Amino acid sequence: MPEYFKRFIPQINLPWHVFIIITSFSSVLSSAAHAQYPGYNSITDVSSFKKKFATESAKVLSITSDFKQDKILTALTETITSSGKFRFKRSSKVRIEYVKPFAYLMIMNGDKILVRHNNKENTINVKSNKLFQQVNRIMIDCVQGSILDSKDFTTKVFENDKEYLLEMTPSSKALKEFFQIIVLSVDRSDYSVNSIKMNEPTGDTTTISFMNKKLNELISDAVFAL
Amino acid sequence: MRYLLFSGVCIVCFCCSSDYRYMHAIEANANCIANLTPKKLNTSWYHASVDVVGSHISGLLLIKNMPDSSIRVVFTSEAGVTFFDFGFADGNFKVHNIIGQLNKKPVIEILREDFELMLGLPFQEASFQSWTMNDEVFYGVKQKNETAYFITTKDCASLRRLELGSARKRKVSVLISGQSYPSPEKIELTHHTFNMNINLSRFEKE
Repeated sequence: MPEYFKRFIPQINLPWHVFIIITSFSSVLSSAAHAQYPGYNSITDVSSFKKKFATESAKVLSITSDFKQDKILTALTETITSSGKFRFKRSSKVRIEYVKPFAYLMIMNGDKILVRHNNKENTINVKSNKLFQQVNRIMIDCVQGSILDSKDFTTKVFENDKEYLLEMTPSSKALKEFFQIIVLSVDRSDYSVNSIKMNEPTGDTTTISFMNKKLNELISDAVFAL
Repeated sequence: MRYLLFSGVCIVCFCCSSDYRYMHAIEANANCIANLTPKKLNTSWYHASVDVVGSHISGLLLIKNMPDSSIRVVFTSEAGVTFFDFGFADGNFKVHNIIGQLNKKPVIEILREDFELMLGLPFQEASFQSWTMNDEVFYGVKQKNETAYFITTKDCASLRRLELGSARKRKVSVLISGQSYPSPEKIELTHHTFNMNINLSRFEKE
């Protein structure tokens, strides 16, 4: 019986990885008012948006930011808010540190991910299975600013005068189990992510908002040491 | 031949030994039962750490008392993705939601038993038998093939732990530290028949 758990453990990282990829690497990226997103119009020329997105993405070498995360359990009328610090350094270094109301650290560096909680560390090699390889592919798409070409999501783009909205619908069964849609809100001025909203099939949502963003500041590699 | 015989006897003795062999039935202490029976947990958030057969995973666990007096147990990743959502009500159990990788009957059964014990559900409105062993008193509730115990000090000063056992073997134990029920600060659940631990640390919402 424990084998079921054991098989589950390495795979359970998928949503985390997807989260990281979307929150971090997408932040390097990324008519009448649309009914689903009041105040936003859909972009018809997605092709030029893709090019601009990729070009602007390439200019961001690092991000330092605070974040606030609100998870809403709709059926249970329960919300949990957490906050912490986020750091990204091109091309594949991410550090997400939850500070309140619990301590939890995750560092991605190349092919490896380190998780630290309660003085316990766990390092995962993303090459160890197919799911991780899929995640790697998404990662590369994001780093290159080509997430809009990714086969893992179909994406619609909307805009107003301040933001772009990227509505990402998972294509694969594995991702669909966790997410119905993911909506990235991208700042028009620097193509960094203002917020990310993950809608689960159950109706629960998680929204992560990024504050005090600083782009292209020097960040030591030691911050991402595994 | 002598060594073989000795080994055989040892194996037989080992196999036949029972974790509960030194228990002696005693009359139940009604005051102790009234004071130390684990009470229904308050609605709380816990940071959960799970170790299974050498692998480690963490996340957030919500225990919520619903207005209809049912209890929901929800486990999510720190990033907010829900892994499972279980409901407990009047002896009934319902899986409201579970991801595919965990959606296996044996996994659900193990988790159901673990949470039922942790929530103290076997002890609600139960009739108890009691035993003494070493310096402890066991208050047990017979279930299908097992017995759920809450275990106190001999003088009934405090709750030591909860336990689930078959007739001979201890299967699961739950240790509480810091405050006790209904708002334990730390809960440590250990499986004794395979390598699995669940550690919960309560935190206050912001």
